[in-house]
Amino acid sequence: MTAALDLADIQGGILRAYGRQGFPKARYFFFTVRDAAKGRVFVEALRPRITSAARWKNPERGEPLLRTRNPRVKDVVRAEGLPDYPGRVELLKPKVAINIGFTFTGLFALGVPTRTLRAMPDEFIDGMEKRAAILGDDRFLGTRDAIWRNSSDEKRVHILVSLNGEMNPDGSPIAELEEETRALRSLCAASNGGVILLSGHGADQADHQDLSAILRRDATGLWPTNKEHFHISDGFGDPVFEGQFSGEAERLRMIGGGKLLHDQSWAPLATGEFLLGHPDEAQEIPGAAMPIEFSRNGTFMAYRKLDENVGAFRDYIDDQARRYARFAGVPTDAAREIVQAKLVGRWSDGVPLMEAPTFQKWQEFNAALTAATAAKDKAKLAEFALRFTSFTYRSDPVGARCPVTSHMRRANPRDTLDPHYSSPDKKSWDGSALVNRRRILRRGLPYGPWDYDAQPDGQERGIVFLALCSSLFRQFEFVQQQWMQYGLDFNAGSDACPVIGNHPPTEGGPPAKMMIVTDPAGQDLPFLCDRIPQLVEPRGGDYFFVPSMTALRLIGMGIIDPT
Amino acid sequence: MPNIDAGHYFFSAIVPVCNEGTIEHPGVDGKPIRSSPIHMVREALETLPTALQSHATEAIGIASPFARSLRTHFARFVVLDQPFFNGRAYGDAIVGTIRGTDLLAAEPDDRLSCPYLLVMIDFDPRDGGKDEPRAYFEELWGLMEPELRAVFGYCYGFPGVSGATGFAEWLISCQLDTTMPFNDYWIDPPNLPSLSAAGLVAILAGFVAVPILAQLRYHFWHGPVLILLVLLALLVGVAADYLLVMGRGARPFPGNPRATLPHILKSLYLQRAFARFVTDQQDRDPATWGAAFRDFLKTHRPEDLTGPTQPPGVIR
Repeated sequence: MTAALDLADIQGGILRAYGRQGFPKARYFFFTVRDAAKGRVFVEALRPRITSAARWKNPERGEPLLRTRNPRVKDVVRAEGLPDYPGRVELLKPKVAINIGFTFTGLFALGVPTRTLRAMPDEFIDGMEKRAAILGDDRFLGTRDAIWRNSSDEKRVHILVSLNGEMNPDGSPIAELEEETRALRSLCAASNGGVILLSGHGADQADHQDLSAILRRDATGLWPTNKEHFHISDGFGDPVFEGQFSGEAERLRMIGGGKLLHDQSWAPLATGEFLLGHPDEAQEIPGAAMPIEFSRNGTFMAYRKLDENVGAFRDYIDDQARRYARFAGVPTDAAREIVQAKLVGRWSDGVPLMEAPTFQKWQEFNAALTAATAAKDKAKLAEFALRFTSFTYRSDPVGARCPVTSHMRRANPRDTLDPHYSSPDKKSWDGSALVNRRRILRRGLPYGPWDYDAQPDGQERGIVFLALCSSLFRQFEFVQQQWMQYGLDFNAGSDACPVIGNHPPTEGGPPAKMMIVTDPAGQDLPFLCDRIPQLVEPRGGDYFFVPSMTALRLIGMGIIDPT
Repeated sequence: MPNIDAGHYFFSAIVPVCNEGTIEHPGVDGKPIRSSPIHMVREALETLPTALQSHATEAIGIASPFARSLRTHFARFVVLDQPFFNGRAYGDAIVGTIRGTDLLAAEPDDRLSCPYLLVMIDFDPRDGGKDEPRAYFEELWGLMEPELRAVFGYCYGFPGVSGATGFAEWLISCQLDTTMPFNDYWIDPPNLPSLSAAGLVAILAGFVAVPILAQLRYHFWHGPVLILLVLLALLVGVAADYLLVMGRGARPFPGNPRATLPHILKSLYLQRAFARFVTDQQDRDPATWGAAFRDFLKTHRPEDLTGPTQPPGVIR
């Protein structure tokens, strides 16, 4: 039975990917608390501004299925006039969404009782720096932004406040984002040294992290895209869990986003995988910090600033494309798209390889999609929307269509890890059982120049990646360590993810590589992408507790009773 | 009637709290803030003053609003969000295998459709509880209406409540029978009528004896009929014993006539005053003790419940 979630008690950023919900501009601020009482006053003053996940109405939303280049599953629901989130609509979409999180030391600094803190998970107590060896960050600790290198003692990061705002037609953030920034600075100043805004982001040591979606320009103006700086469309296939959406929306969104059952049908994941205090995929309510209302409806978040080496990526793809073009006898432009798609698992516009396994099929997919868009054929567009996420890998055990070691298939292997994957007995199939406990909600936005056509020019570019889950250890760290930085689960030895994995220059050892596998029964030979350079480098981050509105009040009022 | 026991009324209710939408209310900075209804209930409860039961609460100096009623012994609120799910029910592995139990398929777990507020209040009933708990809640409404509005304002049905009568009716509609009341204000065991085992056996024997004696005197029945009648009499005897025991058991435990809240407060006050008195007299001449005790009685007036006494809502 699905219980209605108390959406107004859950912070908005957990359920909503702001970047794709009309908030393409963001600023992230980090604070340290030097006086517990003043820190609590700061939190209490901020509390009324925090955006919850309660359902809202956006009067400016465009026409479903036609408002974006590619149709989205959520628009399928909206096109039918069905509610996406449960509950009554009583809110208008805000201009700026504000959210807050705390590191372990932050909770300690704010006077959260020891009895509550002691039940926090190890990895959260450790913080991201201490987990560097697990995450594969140890080589990059010295090149992190100053704010993270200096995050100790008096400059320890305690509080994250994120502002996600709408944008003006000229691509600049709306004025309200600056107003909220000023209000935040004033609150900090009013603490009289009790709360300090930390600086040290990027080369110019800024006092906040500026973020923006990559913007595309057309005849009508600038439009936010779901691209990151490698020009790959991102943000498909986020997990869908029980209670997150209204019943009608859940029915559609769980297809490809939920969990795959024995009978190959889809179901939403257990709420407890993403929100504390609810039953999870192990069919129990996991232990959490007490009192339970402190943990319930909260979650954990990994904040990671990932620098993207755009020049190296483009050079590498060009180099491999030239080789692949010669090898496979295809034009270089097509080879560039093919190589990139094989590394990622999706074509550059997000069409999954499982839907369109060849360049030709991709062209056909897009031609049909363009025709449906031109004809405003909503029924057809609804079908297309589902094809972006609704697929399994059972038909492709060797990865001839979508390489098993591609970024997307590593991040969410769906049914690839089914122990009875190759069994002819359908009744023995286990669906995505081994993956259901390793899912993460992915949030965040790119930083750096937002012009889609801007060339690499030495400015820092990358993405602030936010991973939300109930257990950073079991979900985020596992995916990062075992599936991104290692390849044994995919029979790929110690090969790391071709896109975000570590590709260290090893003297005498094999350089980083990835095999573009072909059908063993066919004539085509496999192609080895080798000498993959380091494409993504971590620039720092930390683990945050994202409390419910109830817990935030308990923290701010200093009335947590753990007995 | 289990709600009244040992002379006290034990009120229990579960009140459903709205779980839809948001509530707009002023935040700390006066600007409007929107929260979920249960959030508002929690906030009202967390900021409701408790009894002055610790140094911290004594320093605040604001006692629980329930202390305004000299009939309230104890009041407790608990938010029931969801029943806590402890995982799959235990099942034998071999039996499960034979039955083909799919351990990956989650078992259904009970969920509440909305949060509930558990309300438990022990108070002194008037007139033997004839018009309770209605009279108590009507009185409470007059004593702490703003606090009651803050706590219950977002519960289903409450917004329609107007006045003391309406509040009492609404809360009583959420009442459950209290099945296990407890308090202990008896110093000596109360004089309870008891049933002796011998008495119960005698009742049983009495029923059985009737057909046997009748047979001995008049030779009415043949053997099998007599046996049947004896068995029937035995059953009637057992039933009579059962009804007797259950009837006595259903009677409320007698209340101590001196266990209303004013009595309890006075006795707590006297205990402390008398302990001080005894301590003071220890080193004094026993000849002065009588006069001192008369002074004690004059000062502390043990039979006067109106004072001096311990104020309600204070635990010392």
